[in-house]
Amino acid sequence: MTLLSVKNLRVSFDTEAGLVEAVRGVSFSLGRERLGIVGESGSGKTMTGRSVLRLVRPPGRIEAEEMRFDGQDLMALSERDMRRLRGPRIAMVMQDPKYSLNPVMKVGDQLMEGLRQRDRLSRSEARAKAVAALEAVQIRDPERVLEAYPHELSGGMGQRVMIAMMLIPNPDLLIADEPTSALDVTVQAEVLSILDGLVRDRGMGLIFISHDLRLVARFCDRVLVMYKGRVVEELAARDLLAARHPYTQGLLNCLPRIGGDRGPLPGLDRNAEWAR
Amino acid sequence: MALIEIENLSVTFTAQGRQVRAVENVSLSVEARESYGLVGESGSGKSTILRAICGLAPVSGGTIRIGGAPVQRDKAFSRRVQMVFQDPYASLHPRHTLDRTLSEPLAIHGIGDADARVVQALRDVGLPTSFRFRYPHQLSGGQRQRVAIARALMLEPEILLLDEPTSALDASVQAEVLNLLARLRAERGLTFLMVSHDLAVIDHMCDRVLVMQHGRAVEELARDDLAGARMKTDYARSLFAASADRMLTSS
Repeated sequence: MTLLSVKNLRVSFDTEAGLVEAVRGVSFSLGRERLGIVGESGSGKTMTGRSVLRLVRPPGRIEAEEMRFDGQDLMALSERDMRRLRGPRIAMVMQDPKYSLNPVMKVGDQLMEGLRQRDRLSRSEARAKAVAALEAVQIRDPERVLEAYPHELSGGMGQRVMIAMMLIPNPDLLIADEPTSALDVTVQAEVLSILDGLVRDRGMGLIFISHDLRLVARFCDRVLVMYKGRVVEELAARDLLAARHPYTQGLLNCLPRIGGDRGPLPGLDRNAEWAR
Repeated sequence: MALIEIENLSVTFTAQGRQVRAVENVSLSVEARESYGLVGESGSGKSTILRAICGLAPVSGGTIRIGGAPVQRDKAFSRRVQMVFQDPYASLHPRHTLDRTLSEPLAIHGIGDADARVVQALRDVGLPTSFRFRYPHQLSGGQRQRVAIARALMLEPEILLLDEPTSALDASVQAEVLNLLARLRAERGLTFLMVSHDLAVIDHMCDRVLVMQHGRAVEELARDDLAGARMKTDYARSLFAASADRMLTSS
């Protein structure tokens, strides 16, 4: 079943230096599965994710032939209806907890804000739900974390708090934008397994945005490879090593490997054709 | 005699009346022309060791010797030891042109022929000489890191301290910068002390590696032992497993 379908998505910015096209005709569809979007910085992957929530500020402009989520036309919805969708139906986890959590608000208050405002829960009910959400992302002492300010948490804890916050309303689709890039490898593995469990248990759709091709390959079912605002290759994650596109191959080969030979790493010979 | 000798180094910060021991009794030695890696997770104290060598962190115990003599941060020190920082967006002066950034160390040390040296430095790191009068914001991340490397090399030091030099860069740009560092080391016989959280990067660049956790040295590994997963401690093994997990094999 298709949860989200996007056809010919374009995001452009009218700047002083002329029109900048960040996303140029991206199409994909998503069921209740894990879709990875990979590419280098500036490839348009984050903008693609944000467009689904219509979170692109002017002068940025979103255009699409079609963008449907669960039968609703996202392009036609009013701002008010979009607000109802954001959070309860489609949620997004941002890259860096340092910049995405409110620095002067306790974690607990941030977690409970939506429950109190949107769901009109009592303080004690909201608190119980917040504790449960923190436990779901394997935070061991949720009571302490509720009373902490974001700067008192480590990067890994902050990231888990953000995931917990997004999962409270039980969304159908989660967009995770580089959710583990700021984390250490061992913490990264933990956060991924938490996300994985949640996708499996709750039957969520997941869009996982990352610059790390190997990570995406291990974690997702399907991968879109983006270059300069376009999808240059779409493939099943298990076929990644058989990738056809020279850009995808280049991204895979330029990473050093433990125990690899120490000769110069192959660079990426960019071809103007890829951007066409 | 090793070129860099660190013995029982401790670094203690005082924060809100509390003492935080960022580095505790760490010893290591790096031979001339060797490339030595420090690896660990955030907060393990690896960057603090580099900062302590440069006098940027409060040393509370132990000794640091370079070329056999206790380290002194004078002009001679900066001609011998230079550092490249993690974030090329933050480590270059935003309102200085590349020309000014690169010629400043020459002016401070009274080295002449700045014109030719700046042009040569740009060439050495693979930047077009037409970039000379540009500002950092006109460059990409990889180009900025090349400038930071060029700046560090202006005084022709023997030792480069590299603090996560590629972790802010895209994979393809990381490959270019690592290749550049490897080439410069071979050409100039440099000694590297390199910090990274990425075991694959350390493995690619370094002959020996010290695994750190919570400010302490956990285990020192030669490159072959790292590649062959012959580590003695559980922590080093778990770090390896988390990294090896990311290596895609054809199976």
